[in-house]
Amino acid sequence: MEGDVLVIGGGAAGMETASRISDFNRNVILIEKEQELGGHILKWDRLFPDGIPASDVTKNLKESLGSTKVLLGCYITSIEKREDSNFFAQLNSGETIKCSSVIFATGFKLFPAQKKQEYGYGLYERVITNADLETRFKKGEGLGKDAPKRIGFVHCVGSRDEKICNNQCSKLCCITAVKQAIELKQLYPFAEIFCFYMDLRMYGRGYEDLYLEAQSKYEIRFIRGRVSEISQEQSGLVIVKAEDTLASRPLKITLDWVVLMAGIISERENDYLSQQLSLQLGEDGFIDSVDPIQKTNQTNIAGVFVTGSASGPKTLPEVINEARSTALSVNEYLNKIKNG
Amino acid sequence: MKERIIFGYDPFVIPFTLGVIFIMLYLGTGTVRILLTLTRKEALNLLNSIFSVKIFKTFKDILFDVLLHVKIFKRNILLGYMHASIAFGWFMLIFIGHIEVILYTPQRNGVIYYPVFFRYFVMETSQTLRGAFFFFLMDLFLLIVLSGIALAIYKRFRSVRLGMKRTTRLKTGDKIALWSLWMIFPLRLIAESFTADISGGSFLTSTINTLMGSLVESTVYMDTLWWAYSCALAIFLFALPFSRYMHIPTEILLIFLRNAGIKSSSSRDGFAESEIYSCSSCGICIDACPMSVVDKKSNYTSVYLLRKLRRRKEDSLFVAEQCLMCGKCVELCPVEIDSCRLKLLKKRENFPDQIFDYNYLSKKHPEFKSGINRPDREKVLYYAGCMTHLTPQIYTSLFNIMDKAQIDYSFMDRDGSICCGRPLILSGGERAAKELIKANSELILRANAGILLLSCPICFKVFKENYSLNGIKVMHHSQYINLLIKEGKIKLKKGDFSVVYHDPCDLGRGSDVYSEPREVISSAAVLKESSNLPAESICCGGSLASRRFSQSERESVTLHSLEKLNINNPEKLITACPLCLRSFSKFNKRETLDIAQLAEQQMI
Repeated sequence: MEGDVLVIGGGAAGMETASRISDFNRNVILIEKEQELGGHILKWDRLFPDGIPASDVTKNLKESLGSTKVLLGCYITSIEKREDSNFFAQLNSGETIKCSSVIFATGFKLFPAQKKQEYGYGLYERVITNADLETRFKKGEGLGKDAPKRIGFVHCVGSRDEKICNNQCSKLCCITAVKQAIELKQLYPFAEIFCFYMDLRMYGRGYEDLYLEAQSKYEIRFIRGRVSEISQEQSGLVIVKAEDTLASRPLKITLDWVVLMAGIISERENDYLSQQLSLQLGEDGFIDSVDPIQKTNQTNIAGVFVTGSASGPKTLPEVINEARSTALSVNEYLNKIKNG
Repeated sequence: MKERIIFGYDPFVIPFTLGVIFIMLYLGTGTVRILLTLTRKEALNLLNSIFSVKIFKTFKDILFDVLLHVKIFKRNILLGYMHASIAFGWFMLIFIGHIEVILYTPQRNGVIYYPVFFRYFVMETSQTLRGAFFFFLMDLFLLIVLSGIALAIYKRFRSVRLGMKRTTRLKTGDKIALWSLWMIFPLRLIAESFTADISGGSFLTSTINTLMGSLVESTVYMDTLWWAYSCALAIFLFALPFSRYMHIPTEILLIFLRNAGIKSSSSRDGFAESEIYSCSSCGICIDACPMSVVDKKSNYTSVYLLRKLRRRKEDSLFVAEQCLMCGKCVELCPVEIDSCRLKLLKKRENFPDQIFDYNYLSKKHPEFKSGINRPDREKVLYYAGCMTHLTPQIYTSLFNIMDKAQIDYSFMDRDGSICCGRPLILSGGERAAKELIKANSELILRANAGILLLSCPICFKVFKENYSLNGIKVMHHSQYINLLIKEGKIKLKKGDFSVVYHDPCDLGRGSDVYSEPREVISSAAVLKESSNLPAESICCGGSLASRRFSQSERESVTLHSLEKLNINNPEKLITACPLCLRSFSKFNKRETLDIAQLAEQQMI
């Protein structure tokens, strides 16, 4: 199969980039390893800060794909750049794709929370992750029929944590936790909700307002201090040990549920592709831009672009904007190689 | 045999004689100083060990360790031969020299230089039986020593060939002693060769004498060479106290003291001084040390610490604080210097004792469900400790096993614990830790259990060594699971996957538990060997002991250790320590499990 552009990854970044490049009457091929387009937001129920349903966003993104050729359940087994600056990619389906440009929209991975052993994820039933909670919201289950009395959110699980080898900030979990805490409070008005944080990074428009609302309107309690360990009572309830660094004292609290805010880490599964193309990766495993200010979506290899969270944690609006700018850069590049 | 020089004296013996007198006085003073620091009890123990059958063990140790260097042979045959040939060969040269004096020139008995320069003063031909016999022996041992010296010189350039990746950096005193030591034996060979036509010689010396032809006829050359030989000996003897070769005489004293059961009680003086001066700076600990994977950290290995202690350097505390206390250098040390103990003592001497407040200890009163008042030998009291609380999968698995075996157990620190005290001890707070030990002991004794069960080898070691628990059996969970299997209370099915076992420092080297974990694993999976012997297992990098290790330096240690463990490509890695589990599971691409998790998975 031949095309101008190959987009790897059918999440928000990949879909938006593909549709915008198609707008330039380019021949775009989009491959997605899963059987459905959408990526991580498929599992999400509603999105911060205003609670827009995630499915609406996915639907809009899919509709604007236009003439893009979509290959589902496909991934690249090997890829190479030939001398004539064309790329040849071998797919698992046996098909070969020839194209002039490749875009990495490979996204991120949620930190596997069981790696943070002291939190007992996978061991205790009532310790779940942010993604698990969204799935429950989506299915309409919430945290079960019996209204929980006390719920805790643990921020920065696998983010900004040298001990687990992830130093980067995942950027969106602070606001996601606030959003999810409010949603739970709306579902269970009598539940006490605690958020254990080390910093709250409410940098986006409307985030700080939501955070203040969480405190004043929803009476969610924010405790500054990392959780040291979680254990389980015989009844199944979970005991959280933490330090309240503002009150300067250790703290132990029994909770019905604990939600771990698993952070964003790089999708190490694609390292073989970046190796084959000699793409430069940062120490955190995300793809490096050739220029972090003006050429954020260009990589060290001409014709290979990166967009979305493949180059670091990003929020959805950022991803969408970046996808559009990537489309422009790719179009410029294609014009340039055509005109020699 | 006939004396060639009537008075049995020539001025060239003066440098050597002065050297011997100097070193004898030096060693005498040093020995008396060390002996004077012994307590009355230690002194009595020393006397007892000298005037009893124990003395044979001491002699055996001296023969094996000081002369034959058996332990170095075990590491590397060439390296062992190098050490043994020089030490044993030289000893035999001196010893046979004395025999010759006693047998043939009894009137010179007690003349210091006579046995060493025997060939100069006495003439004999190899035609006679005794001449041929002794000359042959002397030439043979000289040849052995020379071969050792040749290896030593070779080792300076290609140490890898003798099994050492790194060798110790030498100080000036070491270098002077080293060069004079290298000179002594070639000079002796040539000097004896030059007199071989007068005093007699054997296959080496006589042959060289013949080859030299007319040169040997000049007495000027001959005198010069005997002077040079005597001077080389003198330089060596005068440099000895300022060099690493002090280990040769000191180690004998060390063996006497050690066999009397004496241990160091200060990081520098008394027994410690004999340990410090016994370090031969061989550098075996540099390659052994897990810190050495981080290049600059190899400067903090035991050999350099001992050197700093010897010179009373102020930064020896800083160096002591680097150590991960895995004990591998102690295990491999050919002189068996307990450098970890010296590090602990150094830290203890600088520990700020007054900053602690123990009032909170009296507030801890956990309750136990067991109402029995008399101790129950079967009942198990489980103490997780802080590290196992961070790896709840270990105790969850262990409890599932104990439930299946229908064991009556209680969880002593479900709601938080008093620390076992070992982190404090490791940072030098032995006295401070006593408070914790006291509080914990009361809690444990109140529970009336027969077995105190632990998952953390760090706790296990301290409960075994620093607590007195009235006969309560202290067990690590790997031992306990093995016991349950042996008693038939649980059954494991052997899986067809392969695993490798990592010996945690404090469980293996620290507490000598090697076989039980292996028995458990062997009944649950196919056990593969790692590239290290069990006693030489490499620290996981998570050690609590070091205050001076950054996260990335720890990572290098972990990766190095993993590389050695996975050498035979096992499917899983099994360990028996919560700290090791945490360190390894971060980086290991294979599944990493605690022994309790493995046993639970394979339980039928």
